[in-house]
Amino acid sequence: MATVAERVKKVTAKVLDLDPKDIKAEDNFTEDLGAESVQSIELVAMFEEEFGIEMDEDAALSVTTVGGAVDFIAHVCKKQGVEIEE
Amino acid sequence: MRLRIIDRPVESRQNFWPVALSRPLWELRCGITSLGEKLEAKAKARDVAYFLPDYLAGVYRTKTSRPVNDPSTLAGGDLLLVDARVKADSFTVPSGHSEVGLDGQGEVLYAYVAAGDAKKVQGGDLEAFLKSAKATLPNVQAKLPTWNYTWDLILASPHQIATDFAALGRNGIEGTVEEPSALRGSRKDVYVAQGAKIHPMVVIDAANGPVYLDEDVEVHPFTRIEGPCFVGKKSILLGTKCREGNSIGPWCRVGGEVEESIIQGYSNKYHDGFLGHAYVGEWVNLGALTTNSDLKNDYSTVSVMLDGKHCIDTGSTKVGALIGDHTKTSIGVLFNTGSVIGAMALIMSSGKPLPKFIPSFGWFIEGVVTKGFGRKVLYETAATAMGRRKCQWTEADRAMWDVIFELTAGPRDEAVKKGRKAMMK
Repeated sequence: MATVAERVKKVTAKVLDLDPKDIKAEDNFTEDLGAESVQSIELVAMFEEEFGIEMDEDAALSVTTVGGAVDFIAHVCKKQGVEIEE
Repeated sequence: MRLRIIDRPVESRQNFWPVALSRPLWELRCGITSLGEKLEAKAKARDVAYFLPDYLAGVYRTKTSRPVNDPSTLAGGDLLLVDARVKADSFTVPSGHSEVGLDGQGEVLYAYVAAGDAKKVQGGDLEAFLKSAKATLPNVQAKLPTWNYTWDLILASPHQIATDFAALGRNGIEGTVEEPSALRGSRKDVYVAQGAKIHPMVVIDAANGPVYLDEDVEVHPFTRIEGPCFVGKKSILLGTKCREGNSIGPWCRVGGEVEESIIQGYSNKYHDGFLGHAYVGEWVNLGALTTNSDLKNDYSTVSVMLDGKHCIDTGSTKVGALIGDHTKTSIGVLFNTGSVIGAMALIMSSGKPLPKFIPSFGWFIEGVVTKGFGRKVLYETAATAMGRRKCQWTEADRAMWDVIFELTAGPRDEAVKKGRKAMMK
């Protein structure tokens, strides 16, 4: 199974039409990767589908970086009993 | 006579969702007045009180000075309780002796308690009171016509405008009509209320039905208004092709082409785009070129999915969109025939006709329903929109919408899951 970071990068690359290799943990979704508000919504929806979790919109949308998303998703997965590779 | 208008929390009230999610049924419009106003006029009531689902009571109390869900108003005689779905025009108001009118399923449509029978009927709340009335007073099978779906109101509204116009008995020009203007038909069929301003180059065509423009209405140049038509207080028509049969509530901004539609109030359809045989709630904003279909290409009757699953044949070849309160559309949104668009939804154009059902609180983005930025952002937007019309979003509003969020969770959760799957493909 791929790690949370790899899966987050894969989804991010798909939504933002990027190469996963160009995405770094410190990248800001908006400022560095060019995510628009609609794409933020898509990202949250696709992370939920990828990991089989439900995220609180406010909390999820307050995450600004790729690394922050990895930590947040890992936390939600643990809380909701979803197995992940860290 | 003392009148109590009732809207019970029964399953059939969902037939009036999404517009009745956030208001009692008697506040729905048909013609010039609301269903409640029609019942009140019919009963010639001297005092009026209301009973409605508990979650609506907090907000409704801020909108009326009359008692709401107060069981003490059920005490005493010469008391008439009427279900808000009863059509006032067909209702013969009982008098003299007590009676309980039942529909085909044995549900109470109305109950009249004469002065001498007041002590016979007991009950701590409305439901207990109705049960007691049914058990102790004479029952009659009332073959009373009722409003059963939102589209019943849309389809009856044009005729009802003419009936209400005659009943209100107002006509003439009390506001200002700037020249050149054109009035077709009889001046007796036109009422321009005090403070209304009709700019030059406006056509008012009352040849096929009356036109009632309420106080402080403003009609901009190149608007054509075909009767029957009602425009509520402080609403503005902006070069509108206002075709026959529209009932537009107060504080609306309406442009483009509108036909046989009801707009509850405080909603904007500022720009071009067609709205036909639609019912639009309050605080709705329809972006430029938002358009609904109201007629199928094969001229067959229109089906509507009120719950997102089961189709109901309306029996009519013309039904447009039903749109709940606080819903906003982007530019270029295309609604299919007989669409149900929930309340507090946010709709972005997908370049093609949208699904026929979009759940309340759904954010329709990139062709799928998502959770979007969630409730908090929608509430902030609602507060801003209301503030622009000097209305306040209160704690009672938040509490009511929180309940509506839960009431509408089923179809929304399903649609969101479906949307996520579609995105991953």
